[in-house]
Amino acid sequence: MTTPEPRDLRDERVPVTVLTGFLGSGKTTLLNRVLTENHGLRIAVIENEFGEVGIDDALVLDAEEEIFEMNNGCICCTVRGDLIRILGALMRRREKFDHILIETTGLADPAPVAQTFFMDDEIASQLRLDAIVTLVDAAHVLQHLDEVKPEGVENEAVEQIAFADRIVLNKTDLADEETIGQVARRIRAINAGVHVLPAQHAAIDLRQVLDVGAFDLERVLADDPSFLTETEHQHDTTVTSVGIELHGELDEDRLNAWLGSLLRAKGVDLFRSKGILAIAGAPKQYVFQGVHMLLDGTFGRDWREGEPRTNKLVFIGRDLDREALERGFADCLATAGAAA
Amino acid sequence: MSTAVNSPLVWDVAVDDAPVALSARGDLVAVAGAEGTVKVFDAALGAEIGSFELPGGALRVGLSPDAGSVVATGPTGYALWRRADGRTTVRESGAWSAAAAWADGTRVAVASGRRALVLDVGGGELWRTEAAASTVTDLAWMRQGRRLAVAAYGAVRCHERHTEKPLVTYPYVGSHLALAVAPTGRWICSGNQDASIHIWRTRDGSELTMSGYPEKVCRLAFDDTGFWLAADGAPDVTVWDFSGGGPEGTAPRSLRCHETVTALAWRPGAAGHLASGGDDGTVALWHATAGRPQARLRPVREIEGTGAPVAALTWAGPHLLAVAWRDGRIRTHGTPSRTAL
Repeated sequence: MTTPEPRDLRDERVPVTVLTGFLGSGKTTLLNRVLTENHGLRIAVIENEFGEVGIDDALVLDAEEEIFEMNNGCICCTVRGDLIRILGALMRRREKFDHILIETTGLADPAPVAQTFFMDDEIASQLRLDAIVTLVDAAHVLQHLDEVKPEGVENEAVEQIAFADRIVLNKTDLADEETIGQVARRIRAINAGVHVLPAQHAAIDLRQVLDVGAFDLERVLADDPSFLTETEHQHDTTVTSVGIELHGELDEDRLNAWLGSLLRAKGVDLFRSKGILAIAGAPKQYVFQGVHMLLDGTFGRDWREGEPRTNKLVFIGRDLDREALERGFADCLATAGAAA
Repeated sequence: MSTAVNSPLVWDVAVDDAPVALSARGDLVAVAGAEGTVKVFDAALGAEIGSFELPGGALRVGLSPDAGSVVATGPTGYALWRRADGRTTVRESGAWSAAAAWADGTRVAVASGRRALVLDVGGGELWRTEAAASTVTDLAWMRQGRRLAVAAYGAVRCHERHTEKPLVTYPYVGSHLALAVAPTGRWICSGNQDASIHIWRTRDGSELTMSGYPEKVCRLAFDDTGFWLAADGAPDVTVWDFSGGGPEGTAPRSLRCHETVTALAWRPGAAGHLASGGDDGTVALWHATAGRPQARLRPVREIEGTGAPVAALTWAGPHLLAVAWRDGRIRTHGTPSRTAL
């Protein structure tokens, strides 16, 4: 038996952290910390041109948001042309960076940013998306989350929380305890598994947000196995997390058919998805993660002897029908419908 | 037969930057680096005859047809250098300047954010286009410098001189990364983010898409005759036949040498000779139009590199090939025979 090497030891691609958050949430303060603190990492920062305050550092580049549709018939399959350009130029420099941090505008949709790392081969060969980190202003985020948008217009604050792998709950000194508790519950209702890091003046241990490996298939769901037990449904929110745990082995063909049709029908509404699956006949765990319609999957570690074959799946998205998802997933079990 | 005799090393210099682009015209070769260092060399001897800096880094460099000026463009602006007195004009606009193209020895078009600016050799603005849908990615002159083709997201737009609005728009939903216009003026081609080449026949605007490339198409170029288009987008360089009715329904020749193509340059002339460079540092020379359509060709010769990826290739006339590697090494190789490589 050979234990597979942790992926990080082999992956020499430069990790990229995407920083999202509304205007005033403290992104600039955090970027300034990243650039001035003595953390021993060479970090290139790409700042958006609508930054709250200019940051004095040679590595800061301006970015004008340019969202491009891909010609593959999928309307949610968009990339950021400006990022492809800037990252391409950055990687041609002789000085090598240990890490790249991209600040997006307060109104940015995180999906095209994330999809850029999967859709562009040149980027994917040199860089890996490490994590989406969202800064939240504890005192003001509720009003952003509650803002009623016109039909068809996204609430960006909700979207940025839904996409996040880490949430920095900033400015806790400016909010009372009750508000902070409310904010934390709202965050959990949208994104049940996300790590929330309370902070004042964006003072956090950078190791908690850099090199997180949130998109690393080897680390899928490793972050927080307890996410499935979260059952906060008290809020009237259309963006939620659905976690499903299912015992048994899955029929690969039925799983592919179900996931395929789910992504085709609901891809626009599925922001993030992750899973560890037991495929009938496969000695290894199948792990995947996805952004909208883009799925990245591979076989991970071996199932251990005597280890129960358990499937774990989590979706974060809009208007998710938990019952339908549970039913559809259960129908993928190799034993399902065996009597027919 | 020794390869060293066929493509002897002519000169070899190193620059203190990571080269990203080369240009050669007349008796000069210019190289631009990622950090913005631009150096101008005598093509015959490799002696440095000038240099300038573009703050914010460089993406492209272009010598004017009379070798009297150099333009460099980069992520935060552009710069012009005049050979006669070494005067440098730097414009730090803050806008992304992806490309530049000389109309003749006196006028140069420079991409600047979502616009193209047409400048005189001193950097004075003669006219500008209106804003395109996104940052301009590439430029090309048509009709002997009377019409400017501008590529950006969603379309290639053609402007007559001193007209802000395009006279002709060639729409195609997609991110056009590179532009090639046949010297005959018959075809406009764009390399695309969606791993395709889009082609317009200028006469009637009829379109054709060559899709199915494994990767985005970033580099494409017509040879001097306008009958042949070479493109990346795959480990193989593909060469399409644009003679007669064009490439519709035909298969390209495939040139197999590199894992990832990083540079392409047709040798001046009508012989169909092409140089290509790869991520592995090798340079290959090809009779790129030999054989039948769909043929998979092998290089006539390979030139050993430094181990670093090839950053750029350009021909300084038919008898001198200049190569820049990512580690800062610039070499020129002679190709004495007119008919052979």
